[in-house]
Amino acid sequence: MQPFDYIRPSSIEDAVREKARNPAAQFLGGGTNLVDLMKYDVARPAALIDVTHLPMDRIEVNPDGGLRIGALVRNSDLAEYPRVVRDYPVLSQALLAGASPQLRNMATSGGNLLQRTRCYYFYDVAFACNKREPGSGCSALAGQNRIHAILGQSPACIATHPSDMAVALAALDAVVQVVGPQGKRAIPILELHRLPGDTPQTDTTLRNDELITAIDLPALPMAAKSHYLKVRDRASYAFALVSVAVALDAQGGTVREARIALGGVAHKPWRALEAERTLVGQGASETSFRAAAETALRDAKGYEHNTFKIELAKRTIVRALTTMA
Amino acid sequence: MQFDTEGADFENATRADDGSWQLGESLASPNSNLSHGSQPEPIGVGTAAPDFAFAAADGRRLRLHDFRGQPVLLAFFPPDWDPARAHQLSLYNQILQRVPGGQVLGIAQDEFWCEISVEDEDDALHYPLLQGLSSNDEAAQRFGIEGVQAVFLIDGEGIVRWRHVGDASVRPVVDQLWATISASGGTAPRISRRNFLVASLAVCVAFALHPRVSRAAGDPSTSGAANAVSPESRSVVLNINGTDYPTLIEPRVTLLDALRERIGLIGTKKGCDHGQCGACTVHVDGRRVNACLTLAMQVEGAKIVTIEGLVNGRQLHPVQAAFIKHDGFQCGYCTPGQIMSAVSCIAEGHAGSDSEVREWMSGNLCRCGAYNGIVESVRDAKALMAGAHAAEQTAIDAPQSAVVRTA
Repeated sequence: MQPFDYIRPSSIEDAVREKARNPAAQFLGGGTNLVDLMKYDVARPAALIDVTHLPMDRIEVNPDGGLRIGALVRNSDLAEYPRVVRDYPVLSQALLAGASPQLRNMATSGGNLLQRTRCYYFYDVAFACNKREPGSGCSALAGQNRIHAILGQSPACIATHPSDMAVALAALDAVVQVVGPQGKRAIPILELHRLPGDTPQTDTTLRNDELITAIDLPALPMAAKSHYLKVRDRASYAFALVSVAVALDAQGGTVREARIALGGVAHKPWRALEAERTLVGQGASETSFRAAAETALRDAKGYEHNTFKIELAKRTIVRALTTMA
Repeated sequence: MQFDTEGADFENATRADDGSWQLGESLASPNSNLSHGSQPEPIGVGTAAPDFAFAAADGRRLRLHDFRGQPVLLAFFPPDWDPARAHQLSLYNQILQRVPGGQVLGIAQDEFWCEISVEDEDDALHYPLLQGLSSNDEAAQRFGIEGVQAVFLIDGEGIVRWRHVGDASVRPVVDQLWATISASGGTAPRISRRNFLVASLAVCVAFALHPRVSRAAGDPSTSGAANAVSPESRSVVLNINGTDYPTLIEPRVTLLDALRERIGLIGTKKGCDHGQCGACTVHVDGRRVNACLTLAMQVEGAKIVTIEGLVNGRQLHPVQAAFIKHDGFQCGYCTPGQIMSAVSCIAEGHAGSDSEVREWMSGNLCRCGAYNGIVESVRDAKALMAGAHAAEQTAIDAPQSAVVRTA
């Protein structure tokens, strides 16, 4: 690990000031991803601004009845928070499907959103990787690409976003609260992460000097009937090959509203908006779920080792929706 | 020569044609990390061992030269060399048996090293322990081995006859010795099976380092970060098992490395060092975490509990006892992490069924595959602890009801 400076700011404002002063610094949350990347020499921050002692560790009720989740709320606490379990089960299930109990005790909700890809070539500095070293090429295109993207990828990068939590948040239309030197702003979750295009080195629309302070969950009654289904190589403690977050509002066998988000398939949590629309007014049946899944994966493109994911994603959507119907 | 009686084989085994004891040296050199420019050269084979003063375990003030007339094996001990392990102690015994009248001088700071002076097999050997020397680096300086592991065999005339010196990360093992000898086509001169055995033991003994006498790493990009003291090092107090440990560390030192390499609490294991195996699991403010991905500076002010903190006096924690009873391990390397994780798993209320235990223990991998025993251990410990809790409640309730009656 390269040497770095360690800074423990006394307030959120102080943290933002430190970051503005030192653009090569990074905020440190639970460290479960960043410290690991530093050990692999992938991340080389000049300084770590440890924000874990700042007052962003609460869950509060918003005026609309939704929840404001502090950026430092640990994944383990969020997963078992009674109102999350009751009103947003998809989020609880997604969190518990991720990592291990130890890592969930460390990982923060803000940090979870900013995880970097688990693409092997990104992690191994011996390989070309446009995300790590812009312009160096993509080793995954013609390499081992079993875990890689099938939607929204570019010739520059076929990496996927590894978060489970973010997939649930995408289905819930969460809003990310950030603060920077210019003040606060709110970023809808679907606009936080970006597709790789020809600048895969940039994962999100967050500015370099901005700090995530909270995540807002809107009041969403239909979310009480929601579900996260994760398909992976092991029964536990593995990243998703494909995951699906769904919420379903069906009355008398007819779909009134559906939410479908996919994980493990794209550079960002992938919301299947068109597929959701096709379900409205349809019967809550396997036939219509399958049709929606076909729509969701219509533009999917596989590579040498990951083409199986296209059919896997469709079946996972059908299974998740069927569970809720 | 002091080695010429029964010790002749040992001498031949490690002595090259030019008369110096090159075998041990040449075996060590591929692994040793002595090329950093400004580092002083370790005292070489064939040269006189420098003198230094120390206090023996019994409080006597001695000097190294007081041992003239008998061979001395001078070892700078690592914290993870455990004299309670019979096989490690027996290495010393066997070597010393080849060196009649020999002494082991071990340099260490921790009090538990005293055990080495009482654990011997035939009463013929004793091992003065030089305590407290590690914070006084005079000896290490004079031998030119600050911050590296080192073992010197010094003959009765005070001449260094064999040495193993290497970077702190070097862990010479018998396998390496085998490989080196095999690679030489078996043509190494005068190595009989018995000689080889002795030579192997000698190299094994070189499980030695002196972490507290550390210096700035020559190259910060090497793995020496755990021991490096750079100008950016800061004073941090870590509260571990109820005790405050002041320690001087760089920001990049993880809690795991601080525990093992700085503070000498080696019960916590380094497995993958990347948060994937759980061998490093400790409790921070009552929650299980991976110490390998936790920066030590982040947990200043927190209450840290390691496997060493579970035992109550001489009473094992119920989870520890259950792991023994149910064979919850084979090689034992993952066990401290498994146990720390299991204690949390039960406390969190995630041990309700075998499948729940498997899911909530999934962050702890066991290459031996002792999973069935681990699940049984957790299940049994949970029942034991629930029973103990019930008994405790009864004990608390009883006097209260007595009070109610008399009132």
